[in-house]
Amino acid sequence: MNTVAESLSLSPEFSGEARRVPLIPLVDPLSAAPEVKQILDEAQAFFAMEWPPAVLLAMAHDWGYLADYWLALKGIFADGALDRFTKEVMAFAASVTAGSPYGTDFHLREMRRLGASERAVIEALEVTQLFNGFTKIADTLRLTPDFNPRP
Amino acid sequence: MEIVRIPEVGEFSADEQKFMEGMKDWFRIDFVPKMSRVMRVHKDFGKGYGRATRRAMADGALSRKQKEMIAATVSAVNVCEY
Repeated sequence: MNTVAESLSLSPEFSGEARRVPLIPLVDPLSAAPEVKQILDEAQAFFAMEWPPAVLLAMAHDWGYLADYWLALKGIFADGALDRFTKEVMAFAASVTAGSPYGTDFHLREMRRLGASERAVIEALEVTQLFNGFTKIADTLRLTPDFNPRP
Repeated sequence: MEIVRIPEVGEFSADEQKFMEGMKDWFRIDFVPKMSRVMRVHKDFGKGYGRATRRAMADGALSRKQKEMIAATVSAVNVCEY
């Protein structure tokens, strides 16, 4: 999502950042085909938004792709071995790391909506910052792994 | 292959070695990771970064497990094999 959102210059959904002009037209959910609108409505409800996410409106020109992508997206964010909250924390960290204003804004709002305290947000930022440092140090020095990832 | 020499534990001061022993307990491993050793080549940097990491990774509003998931996510996004 981050890649599409930033490359298309989509405005963050929640932060009130100055609006950007998308590089492609977004589908208007009010005039979308019924099968498209059904998915957009579901996504809007899933994320408890007042309007479907812009990144999905950008993908909604191709119903088949949108349907498959949404199936994947809601599946990976559903409660499973990891709960949805933890997955949103991970998505927030990924968005910060990728430097995506759209993704950071989106997943920060989701974290908060799902119950994150401000302390939790700060802790997530701390770990994200630290490990962005660790990974850059490791790559710069070409450190070879010394952990067994499957103990 | 590393572009710098990674010091052995025995090359550090007694205080540094004590901290590194704590690192082994923290990760429940029987060796001191390369990252821990190389970062303590510069004592102040290693000490500050190490303490910040211990503090940040402890259970808090987020669990340590969740924080390790964040660390894994960041590592994956940055395609960091280490």
